[in-house]
Amino acid sequence: MQIRDYVLRRLLVLPLLIVGTSIIVFSLTRIGGSPIGIYLSHEMSQDEVAQLEERFHLDDPLPVQYLFWASGVVRGDLGWSGVAAAPVTQVFPTKLAASMELAIAAAIVAVVLGLALGTYAGARRNRLPDHLTRVFSISGASMPLFWFAILLLIVFWVNLGWFPVGRSDADIYGRIAHPTGLYTVDALLAGDFAALRDALWHLALPAITLGYGATAIIARMMRSSLVEELQEDYVDAARAKGLPERLVLKRHARRNALIPTVTVIGLTFGFLLQGAVVAEIIFQWPGLGRWMADAVLRGDQATIMAYVLFTSVLFLFVNLAVDVVYAYLDRRVVLGE
Amino acid sequence: MGDGRWRLLALLAGLVLLVAGCTGAGETGDADATADTGGAGTASDAAAGGEGAAPAGTFVHAADDEPLSIDPAQVEPGEGGETMILQAYERLVEIDPNGPDLIPGLSTEVPTRDNGLISDDGLTYTFPIREGVTFHDGSELTADDVKYSWDRVIEMDLPESAADLLIDNVAETAVTDDGAFEVTLTSPTASFLRAVSTAMVASVVSQDAVEANGGITAGEPNEFMATNMVGTGPYTFVAWNRGENIQFEINSDYWGEPANLDLRVEIVPDPDVRVLGLRAGDYDMIETDPSFIGDIEGAEGVVIYSEGLLLEPIHIGFNLNIPKDQLPSEDTIPADFFHDPLVRRAFNHAYDYDAFLQGALGGFGDFNPHYVPQGMFGYDPEAPLYNQQDTAEAEKLFREAGLWDEGFTVSVITEEANLFEIAALVLKDSLEALNPKFQVRVLAVAEAQFDEAHASDPVPYAMWVKNADPFADPDAYMQAYENPDGEWGQIHGFAKGYENPEQIASLIDEAALELDETRRAELYSELETLLYNDPMWLIAAQEGIANAHRDNVEGFVLNPLWPRPNVKFALFNKS
Repeated sequence: MQIRDYVLRRLLVLPLLIVGTSIIVFSLTRIGGSPIGIYLSHEMSQDEVAQLEERFHLDDPLPVQYLFWASGVVRGDLGWSGVAAAPVTQVFPTKLAASMELAIAAAIVAVVLGLALGTYAGARRNRLPDHLTRVFSISGASMPLFWFAILLLIVFWVNLGWFPVGRSDADIYGRIAHPTGLYTVDALLAGDFAALRDALWHLALPAITLGYGATAIIARMMRSSLVEELQEDYVDAARAKGLPERLVLKRHARRNALIPTVTVIGLTFGFLLQGAVVAEIIFQWPGLGRWMADAVLRGDQATIMAYVLFTSVLFLFVNLAVDVVYAYLDRRVVLGE
Repeated sequence: MGDGRWRLLALLAGLVLLVAGCTGAGETGDADATADTGGAGTASDAAAGGEGAAPAGTFVHAADDEPLSIDPAQVEPGEGGETMILQAYERLVEIDPNGPDLIPGLSTEVPTRDNGLISDDGLTYTFPIREGVTFHDGSELTADDVKYSWDRVIEMDLPESAADLLIDNVAETAVTDDGAFEVTLTSPTASFLRAVSTAMVASVVSQDAVEANGGITAGEPNEFMATNMVGTGPYTFVAWNRGENIQFEINSDYWGEPANLDLRVEIVPDPDVRVLGLRAGDYDMIETDPSFIGDIEGAEGVVIYSEGLLLEPIHIGFNLNIPKDQLPSEDTIPADFFHDPLVRRAFNHAYDYDAFLQGALGGFGDFNPHYVPQGMFGYDPEAPLYNQQDTAEAEKLFREAGLWDEGFTVSVITEEANLFEIAALVLKDSLEALNPKFQVRVLAVAEAQFDEAHASDPVPYAMWVKNADPFADPDAYMQAYENPDGEWGQIHGFAKGYENPEQIASLIDEAALELDETRRAELYSELETLLYNDPMWLIAAQEGIANAHRDNVEGFVLNPLWPRPNVKFALFNKS
């Protein structure tokens, strides 16, 4: 079987998997009961509740409700978000973009700091810089995120007034178009450097907060990998050739030490995306995490279902992509061997 | 990747953050730049000002929650959308900022019998419409817009809104030959004018704007109007950035005294961040409640306003209509537990009011009789009320009711993590300390779960905690919370418990129709005494107003009759 046939076969199965996933998602969210609560106010009469149930088709039998919801999904209608007071499909892309932007910024902080600190410490094993770096890393990993965030707010927002909360200066944000939803990218596309500056300025504190925790993991991994590499024979050979220690480190040991570290960096990005909830809440960052936390706490099932469906389908596509790559790398997968 | 590129990447990222911090602080340090952008109220402005002040040009308020809708026909009473509607829309008559008096709004006169704008039979009200008023979309206000606005609410009849106020009272709307708006009521109602002056559902919207954006569909919200505002008020709606802020600008064509500053309402659910933002000077005013006053007290540049009381007493409901076998399995009380007035009185005497007032409310609050809040017409300061724990009287009543020796277990449902939960916990402590055989289970649940239980008829719990909806007239409280034929009277089966339900219903209805204010006040006074002896609620407290704003805010005025946070931002300025 050719790779093309394999991919086509997998693509044909994909809709069935998506339908199956949607049924599971719908059923799981309905285990907690009717989603009507999010649309109610505390003084509503039974008649008024019935009117709302009719509006959202919650008075129909469950299979009919599923079909209504699924047909909406096909039409691009994921329902009404009670917590955002808007259609889910309208809010989702902007929230996702905000979270992605924060996660990417935090990842940059974590990678740059983590690699630099890990290299510095690994090359000075058991000396003062190594101990100091360890303290810095461990404090980053062990400090509660919310506490660190509040601390930064008090120092840099309240006392010094250097950094703001929120995602943007409302006026600057409003004057440029947002085709990607990533404020920094949109600012670049618009050629508006004041907007870019505003975006980075607002990103700084939440990105540092989130990135600091991840820095610790990357720095520790980089340090231990580098220490191992520096004990390898090829390093001794390089030194024996008379290569300066600086070049031994940079051209040989560090490059090899990066291999396991890069794996950790990949995993860390997922952690940053998920771990953004606390940072988003404290720094007023209008991202997916804050929206979802609100939806879960207030029982906004339309929003929760949309999120779970999105991540499930994303996973299906990622899985497909991985399988295709496997097939490309190992033809036995295609042939079913 | 080569070493050089790694170094470059690291340098770039470091520089980006450094530049972000430095240039950010520098950028808005330029006072002109701040003015040009309308003053966005950012931290750097505060730093530049050196005194932690948000920029002149924009008033920044930090609200605790996002509106669910900003359409007058859809907004839920007591919800965040009302705050926005109050700024951008207007009503025919308004409440005077400094008191409870009615003043002309879009109507040039407040109808009275004396000026002939209320008919002799009290059924027809005529509102002469102000000329030269334009909506934010440029269209001119006419009586047709007013008629359209009210008819729209009635036709849409959205369950989440206060449409009932118009549906129940309005028989007909019309535009007179001389361009006035005329409304005919179903029956004379003393509270009508006050109700439509404070209820956001009575706001006037632009007919042109609605018709151009979906028109009216019965039972269906209008998506455009739910997310946009086209009114006549001193503020023009600019944008709603979900999860971030709602922006307004000064309506330069406003017919009255124009606003001094643009307005931005930041959505800040975390109370600690609101407090920090106020202290940082990024927010000029924040939404708060008495429990956060301790965090702000003594902060430099912050003023705490603590006069007055909210018109939303926090109450614990007694269910006299408990559905058979539907109470939580741990509850041991019979279905007719609260039918006995002795039990209801005993609960009222047992409650530790001081603990709730001094603890949860930090001393910001007071107590009101059943059921007229302080600050409301008809409130009788001489009326008996429950405001002190009286354990001896409670024990006596529980013994008389035959509950002292046997004891009981009862559950009370409440939203979690707010004042209501604390009110329930105080009840638990009060009763369990009184007699260990009394057990109170506090079921603190998510808001959606509470609202669903609360909207059930009958409610499957014996007790629940919430606050009253704010109203402008005592009749609304009496109808909703005391009348056996009213909303809660029917759901909770008050008729099964009142010693004389007909007398109470009759007094409430008589007061509703009575246009002589002296006689009307007497009727409410009589009711307050009757209901003290036959209480259908346990009123934990009438929460005090706790407003916090920066000390450079000028013209600050607050009126509890306006929706929370009880202010019109157009009246404010900053020094």
